Amino acid sequence: MASPAKGWSIHWRNTTSRLLLAYGVFFVIWGTVLFGFIYWETRHYLENRTGMQLKQQVSYLRSLDQEHMMVALNDYVVLEATNYNAWGLFDAGGKWLYGDILQMPPGVQPDLVTLRLPTEQVVSGPLAPKTPAISVIAVRLHNGQILVLAHSTRIAARVGGIIWHALWWGLSFTLVPGLIGGLILNRAPRRRIRQIESATQLIMQGDLHRRLPVSNRGDELDRLAAIVNDMLDQIERLMGEVKGVCDNIAHDLRTPLTRLRSQLYRVEQQMGEEDPHAALIERCVSDIDEVLARFRALLRISELEDRRRREGFIAVDLGQTLEHVHELYAPLAEDQSLHFAMETEPGLLAQADPDLLFEAIGNLVSNAIKFTPQGGSVALSAKRVGPDMAQLEVADSGPGIPEEQRQAVWQRFYRGEGGLDTAAGHGLGLSIVAAIAKLHDFELRIEGGRGGTRMVMTCRLL
Amino acid sequence: MPHILVIEDDEITAREIVLELAAHGISADRVHNGRQGFERALEPRYDAITLDLMLPGMDGLTLVKQLREQGISTPVLMISALGDVDERVRGLRAGGDDYLTKPFAPDEMAARIEVLLRRHQQKHPAQTRLRVADLELDMITRTACRGARELTLLPTEYRLLEFLMRYPGQVLTRAMIFESVWGLRFDPGTNLIDVHIARLRRKVDNEGDPPLIRTVRGSGYRLG
Repeated sequence: MASPAKGWSIHWRNTTSRLLLAYGVFFVIWGTVLFGFIYWETRHYLENRTGMQLKQQVSYLRSLDQEHMMVALNDYVVLEATNYNAWGLFDAGGKWLYGDILQMPPGVQPDLVTLRLPTEQVVSGPLAPKTPAISVIAVRLHNGQILVLAHSTRIAARVGGIIWHALWWGLSFTLVPGLIGGLILNRAPRRRIRQIESATQLIMQGDLHRRLPVSNRGDELDRLAAIVNDMLDQIERLMGEVKGVCDNIAHDLRTPLTRLRSQLYRVEQQMGEEDPHAALIERCVSDIDEVLARFRALLRISELEDRRRREGFIAVDLGQTLEHVHELYAPLAEDQSLHFAMETEPGLLAQADPDLLFEAIGNLVSNAIKFTPQGGSVALSAKRVGPDMAQLEVADSGPGIPEEQRQAVWQRFYRGEGGLDTAAGHGLGLSIVAAIAKLHDFELRIEGGRGGTRMVMTCRLL
Repeated sequence: MPHILVIEDDEITAREIVLELAAHGISADRVHNGRQGFERALEPRYDAITLDLMLPGMDGLTLVKQLREQGISTPVLMISALGDVDERVRGLRAGGDDYLTKPFAPDEMAARIEVLLRRHQQKHPAQTRLRVADLELDMITRTACRGARELTLLPTEYRLLEFLMRYPGQVLTRAMIFESVWGLRFDPGTNLIDVHIARLRRKVDNEGDPPLIRTVRGSGYRLG
């Protein structure tokens, strides 16, 4: 399972946020293009208008005689906040005669064509306009002199500014509340995802009766949850069927096997001690006994898994239980020349079914004894590990269980590889332990490396 | 000869029980349904009853409860297809003396019936000493001796020997031993009980003494 993203990145890892982000980007691009187009059109219009004006003015001035023209030219220079006008009179060779334009701007021809030139190429000085470009027109007068008019307006720049401002505010007013709103809207689905996540976790831990939460909103999350729930129903039903089939086989085969066993047993009883077949029959009986023990264990696991009631739970002293287990298994350990140690603390009381707890620890110990070579050691311990937690531990000096097999050993019929199954055992003991631990909500884990196994059961204390 | 009432509606199981009991020298009467079973159980001539829990007419739990209310203390071995722990506890609480899950090995059933019969006879005299051959157990001082030799027993070994000595000459299965001595009912693995018996045997049966603890092939153990 991938680890869920933490912090801020989680905000962007969902459909709504991505949609919101894509929409935001699209909106910014489209807004910019639209406003850019409006700006460009407006500017174009204003520049055209300036060009037309200049053309009219220069034509008019040209039509006047020298004297009137000079008066008119002096009037032409009007200092306004938004407009700037300048003129220059040059002789036929382009030499300056009068005016604010001190030299022929480069590229200007007396052909009544309006040019846009950088301001500093046309006029300079403190009165020069702040606009970066200026419109310039030139005309040849009747006496051969060249009149140059320059006009610049800040209206275009102003309009541009207004348009960019409008764009900026427009985007801010749309995007910021949009993003905030999106985050807020996202919170509810995220909370529900978290609920679904925790429900799923419990299901994965084996609580197949659980379902994902479905609200009455009927949105896509609900639809998805409903689909998953249907799937879980189906899985639960199928698992139940598989388990049922297993149980039924075990259950149904027990009767004929028991009958077979009793018949063999009767034959055995009628045989004399010295009959050569007696040993054979005895082996058959003990084989059948083993099969029956397996079936019993299988049915027992089912029974434990189905049991959801905890009526039989009482306060159990873990230390005492451990002592009793130790007492029961000590002769077995001694027979295998194992060092069988025990260490407990007094007063560790847990809510448990005493018989089942005994069975679980007993199975762990039996397993440890079985898989530890002669001369090794098995140690039992119970200790407090927190204010309301205790740890039961069965440690052995056996071959150890590889990391990758540690989950599998709790499953039915699993037995370690590498010759371990030469020892007697039907591989159901640990499954029974797992079922009992689960019934008690005790955590079960395997620790240790090559030098042995530590089966650890963490119990909640009273 | 002990006389047993078998209340069982399943034909095959009933026949098996009757046959096996006969092999152990116990005679049996058989009844098919609960109501009839209850009426017969009131008669004082039965030494023990095997009772199926699922019966037509009257179910086993009700039957045994009413029987106890009537003051009838005939020992009852309950037999049920339900192996559930809770079911067993409910059965014993209703007044049953022992509980066996179907399918069962007939010898196990017979061994349990014999123990029930013996226990019922023993109830009256309050014994403080048990004696089997030259083996003697004092339940007040919690000591045992074989002839003149005193046995040093661990607490578990003492309890095991006491259980064996209460039912001398009788087959005791491993499950019965595990239930009675340790009070537990799970499968403790193949040879756990054998190991305990072997230890006790080393202390009880010295070389030269006639062996007292015997292994019964395919079943369990017998003292004496």
